[in-house]
Amino acid sequence: MSAIAYEPVVGLEIHIQLNTQSKVFCACPADSWGAPPNTHICPVCTGQPGALPVLNRAVVEKAVLLAAAVHCQEIQARSFFDRKNYFYPDLPKGYQITQYDQPIGRRGWFEVPLPDGQTRRLTIHKMHMEEDAGKTKNDPARGARLIDMNRCGVPLIEMVTAPGLRSAGEAAQFLIRLRQLLRWLDVSDANMERAHLRCDANVSIRAAGTTGLNPKTEIKNVNSIEAVRDAIETELGRQAREVSAGRRVEAWTLEWDEDSQTLHKMRSKETEADYRYFREPDLLPVEVADAWREAILQRLPELPLERRARFIEAYRLPAYDATILTEERSLSDYFEAASAAFGGEPKIIANWVQNEILRLTKEQNSPAGGLAFTAAHLAELVGLVEDKVITRQTAVGLISQVAESGRAPRALVEAQGLAQISSDDALRALAREVIAESPEQVQAYRAKPALLNWFVGQVMRKSKGKANAPLAEKILTDLLAE
Amino acid sequence: MTDLTDLTLHQAAASLRAGEVSSRELTEACLDRLAAVDPRLRSFLSVTADLARTAAEAADRQLAAWRRGTTTAGQSPSPLLGVPLAIKDVLCLRGTVTTAGSRILEGFVAPYSATAVERLLVAGAVILGKTNCDEFAMGSSTENSGYDVTHNPWDLARVPGGSSGGSAAAVAARLTFGALGSDTGGSIRQPAAYCGLAGLKTSYGRVSRYGLIAYGSSLDSIGPLARSVADLAALFSATAGHDPRDATSLPAPVPPVDLAAADVTGLRVGVPKEYFVAGIQPEVEAAVRAAVVRLAELGAQVVEISLPHTEYALPVYYLIAPAEASANLARFDGVRYGPGITAAEAGHNGGTSAAPLWARYEATRGTGFGPEVKRRIMLGTYALSAGYYDAYYGQAQKVRTLIRRDFDLAFQQVDVIACPVAPTTAFRIGEKTDDPLAMYLEDIFTLPASLAGICGLSVPCGFDAQGLPIGVQLLGPALGEDRLLRVGHAYEQATDWHTRRPPL
Ligand SMILES: [Zn+2]
Repeated sequence: MSAIAYEPVVGLEIHIQLNTQSKVFCACPADSWGAPPNTHICPVCTGQPGALPVLNRAVVEKAVLLAAAVHCQEIQARSFFDRKNYFYPDLPKGYQITQYDQPIGRRGWFEVPLPDGQTRRLTIHKMHMEEDAGKTKNDPARGARLIDMNRCGVPLIEMVTAPGLRSAGEAAQFLIRLRQLLRWLDVSDANMERAHLRCDANVSIRAAGTTGLNPKTEIKNVNSIEAVRDAIETELGRQAREVSAGRRVEAWTLEWDEDSQTLHKMRSKETEADYRYFREPDLLPVEVADAWREAILQRLPELPLERRARFIEAYRLPAYDATILTEERSLSDYFEAASAAFGGEPKIIANWVQNEILRLTKEQNSPAGGLAFTAAHLAELVGLVEDKVITRQTAVGLISQVAESGRAPRALVEAQGLAQISSDDALRALAREVIAESPEQVQAYRAKPALLNWFVGQVMRKSKGKANAPLAEKILTDLLAE
Repeated sequence: MTDLTDLTLHQAAASLRAGEVSSRELTEACLDRLAAVDPRLRSFLSVTADLARTAAEAADRQLAAWRRGTTTAGQSPSPLLGVPLAIKDVLCLRGTVTTAGSRILEGFVAPYSATAVERLLVAGAVILGKTNCDEFAMGSSTENSGYDVTHNPWDLARVPGGSSGGSAAAVAARLTFGALGSDTGGSIRQPAAYCGLAGLKTSYGRVSRYGLIAYGSSLDSIGPLARSVADLAALFSATAGHDPRDATSLPAPVPPVDLAAADVTGLRVGVPKEYFVAGIQPEVEAAVRAAVVRLAELGAQVVEISLPHTEYALPVYYLIAPAEASANLARFDGVRYGPGITAAEAGHNGGTSAAPLWARYEATRGTGFGPEVKRRIMLGTYALSAGYYDAYYGQAQKVRTLIRRDFDLAFQQVDVIACPVAPTTAFRIGEKTDDPLAMYLEDIFTLPASLAGICGLSVPCGFDAQGLPIGVQLLGPALGEDRLLRVGHAYEQATDWHTRRPPL
């Protein structure tokens, strides 16, 4: 057995579906999820004779925002659309309008924190705007090929990375971070199940410690992060076996079959089509003048990793908390707003957000910013707990009431008499009741002092959770000792 | 009283407003003449008689309201209100068959109207039907139509020119008061000259291309053909102007064309020496030079100029236009419109899943496109192919820039350029069909302006010994239509060539 160690060399080509209102070259709605086939179409996106494309400015704005977020050294003041010519039934014009040699963004980079604490900086070669094609499927019952053109003209950004990823896991981490960024910037819903994010992977291996590039294979049709990881892992294993056996890796295009978890050869690279690119004469150059670019970049938010670092620094949060809180922009905004309104120790708010608010966003399938229970509500509620006006248990119960009624926590506490019972007299009366009703336990307590907790629990129950537990415990200890 | 169909567009519009004639009467007169004459001329591919009558009645109601003074606006109606017109079949008219002269679009009903057509409809024009043309506007004689050969009203044995030959023949034969055509390399100017008409190739981007079935997208322009320059002005004003549906349409305003101010005193007219070359028919050269003399007599100042890259226009055009066409025509695959031919019909017996699809493409495109279209698709595909792009398409784009610069420099010296439209008068049907190169040479004087994106006007300036019309071409800078129309009108006022009618 030879002991040669191979280093994986992986690059990605990612198609990102933008979440604009309308398609890239016509006014049809861009999002057709769940819509019946061929209902979001018009003369332009179905390539009717004589129809012409008109560029949707929102597509350029989202492209510029994303290019800036991945640190593109060149956000082109002037980029061009080209025609990519090929025949396919889902391509109504017989060409795709895309950007070829002068894309909107070039020479960027994106940092991916890896689980081992290191960071991988991946070069983004280029990103360009283009239109999507439609979908076809076979209908064996009718012996027909069906075409749905709803997706024709949906705006995409294609991002091409350098072959800088060193494992299947890194590729998966990259996609997780990219998905986070796309949602953070609101340029894409980045839902892989809905094919908002489609990934092709270029995979090769080389002897560890060398720097050359060997023939690569391209894996198409991988549409979940797990599938990307599995497909790359599988292909890396295959290439290692080929090379170990003294064979060469051929430049194939492979297709990932999700069901059987296997790769199929689609074609050899040598038979690649000549797309006869040329400038799209129906569109003007895309001019992003300084003023427009500045206006777009005004909307560029603090990015996830920057915000995470700031949370650790400014709020003294543990790295773990900062990571969770910056997974999603709306949640991190929520945390900051609640923290500011609360004014106390940020870690207390961080705990509440990670427990209660994260649970609510999942239950209601809503971003934190869309919850009826607002950051101001949370700050007030936590303030009541910290001031020992209500118990933690009462506070948790109040969240849904606040959300439903829209009334402030303090108002609900007053109206419903939910304030914590901390008076010695009231607690002592409750404790006496419990002791009087439980002669057996009182008997047992003498041999088993751990039963004290049971008595505290009974007092809490009688008070409907409002009893100040540490105080009740102290009183019970006194009374049971009598 | 003269035949109603003999009126010019302006005369017809004036009669309508005066209440001397109704739109319905004008429309019926045109339809009657069309029925009587067109079987010999074959200028229309489809006649939209019902649509025309409905529009005519609506126009008559509007005109009556206007005459009673009960319209809210109170202003003069559009000169096109109630006027019967024809449109080249490369322009979409919602709900009507639109074929671009190609079998591959046989029976295709346009789901929307072209912007230029829509603007005519808004102005109240009556659309009589769609006129014949070379298939996808590729040709100079209308012989490349997938349906019919159109005949020249001055001599039925001759071509009307092309590709807007149907529009030209119909206007010259008095079947309509005007027509829209399209001009990619001369397709309005040359048939106008062959048929003794005024024809305007608008600057690139001046009239929206939305709804014009594309041939060469960076060259295609829409413009009118009519029996006087004044008529052209009305059609131009109604159709020109920015359209948000065409990204290449120019955002410049369209000021009203003031023909009353037509005066050529002091006008600098450039005569490019490269346009008077061996091979030009002597009578054509003589008539064009006489027209220049006439302009000088009217007060213009004649300057000889040079457009040094003229000779490259032909090869440059026959790379760029076919390259764009090869992509523009890819959509005609029989999948969404047109009579798609299935694998079974093509005699294919299945096999791999992809093969029947390709058999379908091959059958549909192989039978649907005519030989000239196939020739240009192949030419264009070749010019764009990997390994050839730089030498052909890329190089052609560079030379195109030089041709454009020729005109930029020329228009620093002169206000308009005067030259022949075509080297000959109308040739015989069939004379050049076996010789594509000879046919391409028909366009040598019109191609440069198309490549430069400037505007050009064809105006009648004489007849040859066989009684065939000759046209003079006036070229103006981009957005210079207004100037061209005023010069053309001044020339027409001083001559009577445009008033002669064909014997038909
Ligand atoms: Zn659409």
